[in-house]
Amino acid sequence: MDLLYPLPQLLVSGITFGAIYALVGLGFVTIARASQIINFAQGEFVMLGGMITFFLFKGADLPYPLAGLLAVVIVVLIGFILHLLVIYPLRKASLPILLMATLGASLVLSSTSALFFGTLPKALPPFLGSGPFEIGKISISPQSLWVVGATFLVLLSLYLLSHRTFLGKAMEASSTDPLGADLSGIARDRMIFLAFGVSAGLGSLAGIFITPLFYVSYHSGILIGLKGFIAAVLGGWGKHSGAILGGFVLGVVESLSVAFIPSGYKDGVAFMILLLILYFRPKGILGSPFIDSRRW
Amino acid sequence: MVDQVHKEFRKRDLLYSVALWLLSLIIPDPQLHYRREYRFRKRDLFYLLSILLIPLVWSDLHFHHLMVLAGIHGILALGLTLFMGYAGQISLGHAAFFGIGAYTTAILTTRYGVPSFLAFWTSALTASFFAFLIGRPILKLKGYFLALATLGFGEIFLVLVRESSGLTGGVIGIFNIPFFSIAGFMFDTYLKQYYLIWGVLIGLVFFLKNLVRSKMGRAFLAVASSEDGASSVGIDVARIKLGAFVIGAAFAGLAGSLFASVMSTANPEIFSLNLSVLIVMMVILGGMGNLYGPIAAAIFLTFMIDGLSRYQEYSLPVYGVILILLLIFFPDGIGTRLRVRLIYLISYWGRKRRREKVEF
Repeated sequence: MDLLYPLPQLLVSGITFGAIYALVGLGFVTIARASQIINFAQGEFVMLGGMITFFLFKGADLPYPLAGLLAVVIVVLIGFILHLLVIYPLRKASLPILLMATLGASLVLSSTSALFFGTLPKALPPFLGSGPFEIGKISISPQSLWVVGATFLVLLSLYLLSHRTFLGKAMEASSTDPLGADLSGIARDRMIFLAFGVSAGLGSLAGIFITPLFYVSYHSGILIGLKGFIAAVLGGWGKHSGAILGGFVLGVVESLSVAFIPSGYKDGVAFMILLLILYFRPKGILGSPFIDSRRW
Repeated sequence: MVDQVHKEFRKRDLLYSVALWLLSLIIPDPQLHYRREYRFRKRDLFYLLSILLIPLVWSDLHFHHLMVLAGIHGILALGLTLFMGYAGQISLGHAAFFGIGAYTTAILTTRYGVPSFLAFWTSALTASFFAFLIGRPILKLKGYFLALATLGFGEIFLVLVRESSGLTGGVIGIFNIPFFSIAGFMFDTYLKQYYLIWGVLIGLVFFLKNLVRSKMGRAFLAVASSEDGASSVGIDVARIKLGAFVIGAAFAGLAGSLFASVMSTANPEIFSLNLSVLIVMMVILGGMGNLYGPIAAAIFLTFMIDGLSRYQEYSLPVYGVILILLLIFFPDGIGTRLRVRLIYLISYWGRKRRREKVEF
């Protein structure tokens, strides 16, 4: 028995998970670029995206693409509502209060979805109903290709949004220099509002992509959210490319770790990486625009 | 014009001032720590007597059990308020130290037959030892990143506990931990446990009251307000933060040991992120930089969770909504605002009528 036999297979699954973490991390980065807030309810958007798609597809018998699209719209609306009801009233609050409020919102979202959709884990069928195909000895499910491709599309559109449009520049300005943004007539609260919508949309996309890959239940949101955040910190906090790179690195390392240590420790690996990166290089692999200029 | 308003004194104001005086007996002064030395005040006597007498007056077993839990939460909140309220840091991994304390006691008493009084102190030592180990690297972070790093520590602790089932019993946990006992006296009823836990809590409050007025306590406040300023007057910021972290962890270890020997069980479900969030909520709702507030908030939240648990699956969403509402409406603590708001409410009608009388 060759010890290294499962490694390529693990690499493939690591890249798939990495794409998911990257999408979730991008959600964190979008909000952080607009407001310096870290939204702990980000993982719940992922969970809700999967859950609502499942509900619309299986419960309401809608066609798959329509169900997915509707789910994204609904989750974006939830993101807007979250901003209006929780973040906006607390816009002048101190850090621990905002932190606890988003954690509370995450609790509300996950337990409410348990009320609506039940506590059983859900799984969707893959996008195109074909089984995994094999290259050499590695089997790749088409869903993984979908996930990776979609992540790159989303990255491209986010990059264009934030670097090539006026809206993106206004969002970034309202984070890097709040007073300057106010003086130049940018409606900062509206920018944060929009950022919450965008990040909720990103989260729900991630949810729709992973639900065919593994079971999603009402309490799986918080862990996915935290890993997405770790990905964003690992790559370089506040950079889109950093979130993508960090996501893939985290996914691959976490997946390969299964080959060397018992799989029960897999969840601990991500947090070990977080502690190590925060200790040795807090600004992440690619460097961070936020951490150099001000002390966190 | 304004002077006239203040000079006027009516019989009704006597009523208001009596009410205000009564309030000042019960509700803590939000700025207590600015006073240099600690005096034993009337309201301390009031608290002490009510803690001693309440379980005798209200001898309901469920109430005793809840007060035991509230006391344990109170000790946890006291430890964290030193780190959050006084030293101005944030920790979302406090439940891990609670868990370390509980597992130390559980393992020592069930496997090695160590007397629980000895295990009690060993738990505090173990918890503060781990805090010392991880404190150095973690505490150079700030804000969100500190919160995330401590949260990561909590998660790693949970994973380790679940996986090393030879030592900690894995997901199932450890059962049949003997009750706390000193020199043959067993704390086996809820009433005895109540006095044990609140006795420990009162002792810890006295310890903290002296600590926050010491040189170190003033250094905590200085670090909280400005790290640069504190280091420029010769305070070793890293050491002070580590000190607050280690003392907070020791408190959590004591609370964990008491929890294990009172509930006689320890399993990883108890020490999850939810507990850490709950403790931070207690500190925030109790008001930053205030010792009685977190204890009051611990009692309040423990009873609220118990009240909500009757509504089965609706309890969690309602709990989350209540937490968010409390954060929005009382961002600097219920106690702090309550005093101001009650005073405002009590004197509101009198002032309103007076203001109407003044004509411009």
